[in-house]
Amino acid sequence: MNLLGHPDLVDQLAAAHALGTLRGGARRRFESLSRENPGIRSRALLWQETFAAFTEFQPAMLPNPQVWQRIENLLPPLRKPAAESTTASTTAGDILQNLRRALGLWRGLALGGGLAAVVAVVVGIRLDQQLGQRSTDLAQAQQEGAQLTAQIAAQARIEYVAVLQDDKQAGSVLVTFDPAKRALTLKRVGDYQMDASKSLELWALPPGQAPRSLGLMGQGAVARLTAAEGEVAPSPMLAITLEPKGGAPAGGGPTGPIVFKGALLKTEI
Amino acid sequence: MDLMLRIAAQDTASAGALKELYDLTSARMFGLALRVTGNREWAEDALQEAYLNIWRIAGDYRVGLSPPMAWMGVIVRSRALDFLRRRKSERADAGVELDDYLQDTVAGDAGDPLDMADASQQATALRQCLSRLDNKQREVVSLAYLRDLSHSELAEQLKLPLGTVKTWIRRGLTQLRECLERFAT
Repeated sequence: MNLLGHPDLVDQLAAAHALGTLRGGARRRFESLSRENPGIRSRALLWQETFAAFTEFQPAMLPNPQVWQRIENLLPPLRKPAAESTTASTTAGDILQNLRRALGLWRGLALGGGLAAVVAVVVGIRLDQQLGQRSTDLAQAQQEGAQLTAQIAAQARIEYVAVLQDDKQAGSVLVTFDPAKRALTLKRVGDYQMDASKSLELWALPPGQAPRSLGLMGQGAVARLTAAEGEVAPSPMLAITLEPKGGAPAGGGPTGPIVFKGALLKTEI
Repeated sequence: MDLMLRIAAQDTASAGALKELYDLTSARMFGLALRVTGNREWAEDALQEAYLNIWRIAGDYRVGLSPPMAWMGVIVRSRALDFLRRRKSERADAGVELDDYLQDTVAGDAGDPLDMADASQQATALRQCLSRLDNKQREVVSLAYLRDLSHSELAEQLKLPLGTVKTWIRRGLTQLRECLERFAT
């Protein structure tokens, strides 16, 4: 039977589907129809939204007070509020400590990258000349390592640092911003994998305002973006979201989930 | 709801914000978890996991997409269903008394009058339309959704003939559809 000619039946099926009582083959058939047909899909979504409201009005009951104790005990260790640490002088030590940690990590990466590139170039030379293309890539990698090392050497110019972490707090993207050069550098650490149909987008999160896009991060480990100080500096937090290829629509805010986020620290060195 | 933003900041002020959110919402969310699991201990475990989950993903909450109670309700129901599924196999062995609350609710009324000021439009409409069903139909439809049960699972849990469950669900859904349609126009 052609369901499209029977809106009432479509609605009945969509309601049973959202309630969860449409099962087995009937459920699979309905789901495949709704993937093909936007009209059916919208009925299905509408009913899902309607029934999700069931969760809003169940009779209230007081849980045992120990539940909150357990939740509190399980919260991860907390950082100082970002706003407080940029203003209060007592927290200057914290800033420096955070910064040192960030720079130490950054330096380690640069050295590691440089070393790996050197070793790889040596190996490349010993191999046949057929690998010419590859050693060109490796030379580029070496150059990149050298650039990063130079950046560390010139750390007096790095004025802002952020370590953006994923929800497992396993350090994931290092951001440095040099306002004099308007240079925003992102360095990815760890093995975050994303679909080639997606882009990672960096956002400044100015307090009380909508997130401001700072640009996209490609598939590579390093991304270099340009930004003015006024676009970056007023934000205590930066975040990276997973967006459709090419980024969120211009003028709007982020549309995808936050993958990495962290506080932006101003260095006083 | 700026509590979500304060939680998402994940700094020393965030734990206070989570506590505020918990104080405001935990009774409603616990009631939901209890309805889904039918067991106080599991409901408390589900509540704990749900708020830790909210702690981690508060940054994903979008005001425009759903009201906060609906967003949290979906998280709590899904954690509670996880517990229900995980413990289903244990239940037979351990002889845990499921559903200290079920008999009350099946026999029960429309639930306590709640302050619906912060409820979504959908919730207001659904609640009103549900109140027009007779008690048993309302309970069977509610439990089908909240516990993600099939017709035969409902029949088994409520100790009703399968045909009766099917009829109540079908009639309940038809009446809900007609009532909600009037609401929408």
